Amino acid sequence: MKRKSKPRPRDEEPKISIIERKIPFFLISRHILRGNKWTLCLVILLMAVAFINLVFINSLFNGIVESSDNQVINTTSGNITMQQSPGKEFIDNASGVLAQIRKTPRVVGASSRTVVPASLLYKNLQGTYQIYAVQPSLERLTTNIARKMIAGSYLSDSDTDSIVIGRQIAGGKGVEMNATSFKGAKVGQKISLVMGDAIKEFTIKGIFYTKYFEADRQAFITQKALDTMQPFYANRTTNIIIRTQKKGDEAPVISSLKEEIPDGQFITWKEASGLMKSVTNSFLTINALLTSVGFIIAAVVIFIIVYVDISNKRRQIGIFRAIGIKSYLVSSTYILQSTIYSVVGVAIGSIIYFAIIIPYFKVHPFKIPLGDVSLFVNYIDFMWRAVTIIVVSILSGMIPAILATRKPILDEIAGR
Amino acid sequence: MSNFATEPEQNIITVKDVVKTYHLGEVDVPALRGVSLEIKKCDFLVITGRNGSGKSTLLHQLGLLDLPDSGEILLDQEDVTKMHEKRRTSLRLRYLGYIFQEFALAEELTALENVMLPAMMIESISSCRERARKLLALVGLEGLHDHQPNQLSGGEQQKVAIARSLINDPVVLFADEPTANLDSVAAEEVMELFGKLNREDDRTVVMITHEAEEANLGNRLIRLADGVIVDEEKE
Repeated sequence: MKRKSKPRPRDEEPKISIIERKIPFFLISRHILRGNKWTLCLVILLMAVAFINLVFINSLFNGIVESSDNQVINTTSGNITMQQSPGKEFIDNASGVLAQIRKTPRVVGASSRTVVPASLLYKNLQGTYQIYAVQPSLERLTTNIARKMIAGSYLSDSDTDSIVIGRQIAGGKGVEMNATSFKGAKVGQKISLVMGDAIKEFTIKGIFYTKYFEADRQAFITQKALDTMQPFYANRTTNIIIRTQKKGDEAPVISSLKEEIPDGQFITWKEASGLMKSVTNSFLTINALLTSVGFIIAAVVIFIIVYVDISNKRRQIGIFRAIGIKSYLVSSTYILQSTIYSVVGVAIGSIIYFAIIIPYFKVHPFKIPLGDVSLFVNYIDFMWRAVTIIVVSILSGMIPAILATRKPILDEIAGR
Repeated sequence: MSNFATEPEQNIITVKDVVKTYHLGEVDVPALRGVSLEIKKCDFLVITGRNGSGKSTLLHQLGLLDLPDSGEILLDQEDVTKMHEKRRTSLRLRYLGYIFQEFALAEELTALENVMLPAMMIESISSCRERARKLLALVGLEGLHDHQPNQLSGGEQQKVAIARSLINDPVVLFADEPTANLDSVAAEEVMELFGKLNREDDRTVVMITHEAEEANLGNRLIRLADGVIVDEEKE
C-alpha cells in the first residue's frame, strides 16, 4: 500500500505545544530509572552534603549566638537591668522599687544586685572580681546561678557569713583561668572580703559553674551580709535585674516601667552584653562570609556535576536535536534534572540534619567559654537556604544546558 | 491544504550552487564547491566518494543539520537556508528521517521508547506506542521492544534507528554509511530494508556508502571528489 502524501512543510508552522512538554519528564524519568544508580546516589549525596554544610555552619553560629545571649540573660543581666540614675550612686528605696517592678505586666522576677567594691583574699592570694550582694530568694527568680552549683549549695536569705564563688575564682586543675584564681579553693574554706579598711571573713558555701567565663568570675554574698558589714547599703542597690516572660518582651516592659519609674535607667540584655555583643557580631559577620562561600561551593559543585553530565551526553544531545527534538526541550531535561537532584538532595540533607546531626549535637554539644553550644535552627533562614540552593542548582544546570543546545548540531554529534 | 511532492518526478529537494568551507584554525578547508543537485520523489540517491570528498557535508546540508556558506537548498520549493532554526527543527521532525553511522540511540531508553521519542513531540504516548510496535515489527525486532541499546547487537540497534527515523512518516530518509559498523549479514538486512522502504513505500532515500554493492541498490548515484560532483549515474 502506498503512503499518503504529507501536507507541505510551509503549511505547518512550528508551535510550542503542550504535548511536547512531556519529553523532559519522560527522558528524566528514564534517566533516573535506568541510569547508573551509584552515580545518581553520589550526585544526590553531594547535593545533600553541600546543603548540610550550608545549614550546619549557620546553625552552629546561630547556636553560639543563641547560647551566649541566653548565658548573658541567665547569669548576668536578666532581660532588663535597671541602673542608678545619672549622677546618683545608688538606686534608693530598693525594696519599694523592686515591689513596683514585680507588679509590672510580663515581669516574672526582679532582684537587686549591689556591686560590692571589694577584693577577695584567700590564703595569700588576693584578687579583684565582680562581687555582688543579692537577696538569694529573689535572685533565684531572675538568674540560674543557684541551679549551676558544682559544689556546696547556694546562699539563703539569712546567710551573713557565707559566700558563693564562680569556678573561675575557685580555680583548680583544668580550670581555664586558673592563673588568676585561688587555685583550688574548696567549699567550707574561708575567704576574706576586703572592703576599704573593713575585712570580713566568709565561708565558701558553694561553687558554681555556668560555663560562661564572665559569669564564673562572679562572687555573691547576701544583701543582709553587706548591710551588716556596711549599714550604709541598707535598702540601696546599684542594679536591679529584671526577668521577663520571654525574650522579646524587653521593649514593652521597659516602656511600662518608665511610666511607673520615670527617672529609672533601663537597659536591655543586648545593651548590657558589652564584650559579648562584639563577639556575637563577629560571629554573625563570619557566618555571612561562610554562607557566601558555602553558596559558591555548592553552586560550583552542582555546576560541575551538571557540566560533566552534559559533556558526557553531548553526542546524545546532538542526536536528539538532529531528529527534531526542540532545543528548549533538551535543555529543559537537564534543568529538570538539576532541579530533581537539588530538591532530593535538600530533602535528604534535611532528614539527615534533623534526624541525626541536630539530636547528636544536642547530646554532645560543643563546649566553648560561652557555654555549651548546640545547633540552633532558624526555620525561616533554613527555608531561605533550601530555596536558594535549589535556585542556584537550577541556574547551574541551566547555563551548561543552554550553552550545549546552542552549539551547532554537528559539533555536538562529533563531540567537538 | 496542498500536499508535499505528490508525484514522482516532482523535485523534493533542489540544491543550487551550494558552497561550504570549514575553518580549522587559520586554515580554510573547502568541503563543497558549488554543488547543484535535484532529488525527486521516490529517488534512491546514493552518494559515494573518497574520505574528505564532501559526502557527509552534502548530506548534512540536505538534511538541514548544517547551513551552507552560499547557495540555495529548496525543500519542496522553499529555501531552507533562510529559515529560522526552529522551523528547520520542525521540518527535521516531521519530514526528514536520519540514520547515522553509529546507531545514535539513547542508552537509557528501550528500543520501543527510542522509536517513540520523535513522535512524542506531536502526539500522546499511547497513540505513538502502537505505531512504534508496528515499526519494530517491520524492521524485524518483534520481542525486543524492552531491550536497551546495550542489550542489542549492532544490526539490531541500526534497525531500531531506522524504525525511529520512520515514526513520523518522513518524506525523505537520510542515511550516513548505515552499514559501516555492521557485519555482512546485518548490513544486507539493513540494505534490504532501505530497498523495501524505497520501492514499496515510495520513500525517498539519500544514502552515503563506500560499498559498491550497496551503491547498486539506488536508482541514482553521484560521486563526489574535492567538493564537487564528478560523476552521476541514473538507472
